[in-house]
Amino acid sequence: MSEVERTIMNLPRRDAPDKLRGRTRYTNDRMDATTLHTALLRSTVPAGRIVRLNVSRALKCPGVRAVATAADAPGLFGIGVADHPLFASDTIRYIGEPIAAVAAETQEQARAAVAAIELEVEPFAPVLTMEEALAAGARLVHENWRNYEDLFEGGSRRGNVAWEAKAVRGDVDAAFAQPDVRIVESTFRVGRQNHVPFEPRVAICTWEDDRAHIQTSTQVPWTVRNVTGKVMGLPPGRVRVTVPPVGGGFGLKFDATIEPITAVLARKTGRTVMIENSRTEEMTTCLCRENADIRIRSAVTADGEIVGREATVLMDCGAYGGEQIFLTTMTAHTLGGNYRLGAVRLTSRAIYTNTPPNGAFRACNGVYNTFALERHTDEICAELGFDPIEFRRRNVLGDGDLGATGQVFEGEVLRPMLERMEALREKVGSARERAAGRLYGRATTVGTWFIFVGPSSATVNLNADGSATLVTSGVEIGSGTMTQSLPQIVAGQLGLDPRDVIVKQADTDAAGLDVGVGGGRTTVSIGAASIEACVPIRENLLKTASEMLQTPPERLALRNGRVEIAAIPGSGATVAAVVQRAQSIGGPVTGTGSFTAKNVPAMAGCAMGHFIEAIDIPVFAVHDAEVAVDPETGHVEVLSYNVVQDVGRALNPRAIHGQVQGGVVQGLGYALHEEVTLGPQGEIRQSGFETYRLPLALDAVPVAIDLYEGAPSMGPLGTKGAGEVPILNTAATIACAVANATGRRIQQIPLTPPRVLCILRGREPELSHPHISADWLQNTLD
Amino acid sequence: MTTTFQLNGESCRFDGDPMTPLIDLLRRDRFMTGTKAVCREGFCGACIVHVESEPVPACLRPVGLLEGLSVTTIEGASQFDAEAQRLQAAFERVDAVQCGMCFPGMVMSLSEFLRENSRADRDAVKHAMVGNICRCTGYERIVDAVMECLAEGEHAGGADV
Repeated sequence: MSEVERTIMNLPRRDAPDKLRGRTRYTNDRMDATTLHTALLRSTVPAGRIVRLNVSRALKCPGVRAVATAADAPGLFGIGVADHPLFASDTIRYIGEPIAAVAAETQEQARAAVAAIELEVEPFAPVLTMEEALAAGARLVHENWRNYEDLFEGGSRRGNVAWEAKAVRGDVDAAFAQPDVRIVESTFRVGRQNHVPFEPRVAICTWEDDRAHIQTSTQVPWTVRNVTGKVMGLPPGRVRVTVPPVGGGFGLKFDATIEPITAVLARKTGRTVMIENSRTEEMTTCLCRENADIRIRSAVTADGEIVGREATVLMDCGAYGGEQIFLTTMTAHTLGGNYRLGAVRLTSRAIYTNTPPNGAFRACNGVYNTFALERHTDEICAELGFDPIEFRRRNVLGDGDLGATGQVFEGEVLRPMLERMEALREKVGSARERAAGRLYGRATTVGTWFIFVGPSSATVNLNADGSATLVTSGVEIGSGTMTQSLPQIVAGQLGLDPRDVIVKQADTDAAGLDVGVGGGRTTVSIGAASIEACVPIRENLLKTASEMLQTPPERLALRNGRVEIAAIPGSGATVAAVVQRAQSIGGPVTGTGSFTAKNVPAMAGCAMGHFIEAIDIPVFAVHDAEVAVDPETGHVEVLSYNVVQDVGRALNPRAIHGQVQGGVVQGLGYALHEEVTLGPQGEIRQSGFETYRLPLALDAVPVAIDLYEGAPSMGPLGTKGAGEVPILNTAATIACAVANATGRRIQQIPLTPPRVLCILRGREPELSHPHISADWLQNTLD
Repeated sequence: MTTTFQLNGESCRFDGDPMTPLIDLLRRDRFMTGTKAVCREGFCGACIVHVESEPVPACLRPVGLLEGLSVTTIEGASQFDAEAQRLQAAFERVDAVQCGMCFPGMVMSLSEFLRENSRADRDAVKHAMVGNICRCTGYERIVDAVMECLAEGEHAGGADV
């Protein structure tokens, strides 16, 4: 049995028994009787200047131990641009922005003291939409944008344009001027999506040995460490971050938010300080998936060749740049993905508004760009008379094709996946009869996504009892990576039972740098580092056993917890005995490994302002759905859903199936009823579960799944991350199916019943996007 | 005012404000954190407990209304409730758990459902789950596990013979 074969198994989750019995202690279960509780003073206006802030009355309130304000944390943080303070100091930029924090013996006392803080604000007229932000003479959300520190070179930014990324390849003007092309143009708009993790953002800090120790519900302990250091003006090494089991993240917990506040208050009080967002705070300051406006135009020949394409994508980053600055990069790989293009130019801009900041959400940017691209593709097919599936089969990226930034794609993946979808559709059959008098539609879409690689490290210590301890900064957010794929990988390398691989909880004091759990990267990046860490351990074990067994190392095998003479199963010695022997000769048996991006080349000059110019590990997905639309109510029922997903290699197929089912249903919520709307002051209106409509059991359908293995991947054992991508083309597929059912254009999601009724009755206004010029160059800074 | 009730089979005395939600007594006073406080408005089902064998969201039940009643939380059910234990075993078996925060409430709702509906079909199970939201799993595997428990019950002779 090869290493790969013995790594593949449907290992159950080791954390399930405790989670099912309520024994798991998430961060928000870790308060005790000595913990101080915190309440935040948050802005009630979307824009303004703080004229006076006086906390002296609050400090005298019963039970109050400390109050923190901007004076305690003057540093700015951000991604690409350092534009974000921990507390508003002079300027207020959104409703809900923290201005001060009170730590007190009880939550009620902290709240009462917040009410005693004196705050005087001179309000400004807010800039609430991207259209307003881009209008000539618009007020600047960040007046001093020029003074901000650039954290990444090469991006363009100016005024309310927080960041701009461009991808340009070939002569697009010439392609559009070709006499034999038809030009198809489409516009789209999507709203925000709230993550609603069941555990809100929560952190607990103690000040120990003149350092902060933060326990937090995060996806990226190293970001919390670095941001806390930056805003407090401390070397980041003065901050230790550990991460208990996380009760859901979905990308929300990729940014540091409230953690540094606990550190400021812990330092001031010398006590343990906890901040837990109330559900209302969590909902209304959620770093949502951003709303976006898209204009896309293609030049297509009568034969169906896409000779030119241009697009502008506006992404609302809210009051601060955050993750959106990085995500401008993704447009080139998502909207610019899927299809072979002659010439292409794309611009993607993160725009400041006086609304709550947005952030990362599972397949961020990809979900709506795939919605736009697949709807646009169907509009091309409708105008030129092509069959949508045949058009896709013909035009999808294949071996040797160029991406938008000029990267060369390897291998035929999407085309065979479309064939596999055909087979899956046939196998599962149609649910059309369940439409029963309603409008019926079906659609198949494709999607391109990536694995976010980057630095990870791993240390493996082999113990004298034959177990191994894996030390990384990986976090268990529910995806199972830390409880399934990683112990499987280490066990596979060392011939152990994965139950004998202990996985240490993330601790920035114990493990090396890691860029976090997200972007489908954990199995790939930490997995690769773990395999490297096992290399010296294997060598040591084989060498030691070779002496013990008087057999050359090449004739030995690590399997079943033993070092065996390969030809004689059950021979040799236990790993425990070999480790004990090795320890006595050379000391503890240990190995470390590192991994980072390989940086696949793009074409010179194609990508500007991109954090990633080419994608190291592309991932593809094909989705198919049948829907029934009720013409009386506008309600959309999903009748069936099929997924063919490129996973490279499935190490735990059952766990991946669980991720696909969960990701698709989360995507159905985004497509159909998860609607965030902003009020007249730019506030998020959906402040709880009553108004934000999450998918319920009756909204779910069983997803038929075919995992596509064998596509090229530099991931360990040929893996690609599998947990992020299932949401990628759900909205696209549902929107295309609803368009087919209704015979109408679909330009916006979510497809709530009122919107679908308007569409059916021809009352949905045409999206004009006056703030996106028809002249592409006008949508760029330089 | 003092309220006295049975908590997981033991007498529990509470001297605070009778309007205190049961969830706060459990989590903040007793540090019994198995019952999860997620929405605190009765929508999500993560804080379901049994009051006199009835599934009830602990966020909506003031302690003062529990005088003389019997309350079981996930901690108690995991020890004493056969249906809860069968469900827990089935959820483990099918690998249903992800982030896990909704599961204590799921177990509490569905254990009562299993006792009362030994012949439910898939659709009935889904209807029974509308008060329990899960953000991770997409539900179907949870339903699979409940269907396995129902089938087991049938093979074992069932309560409805």
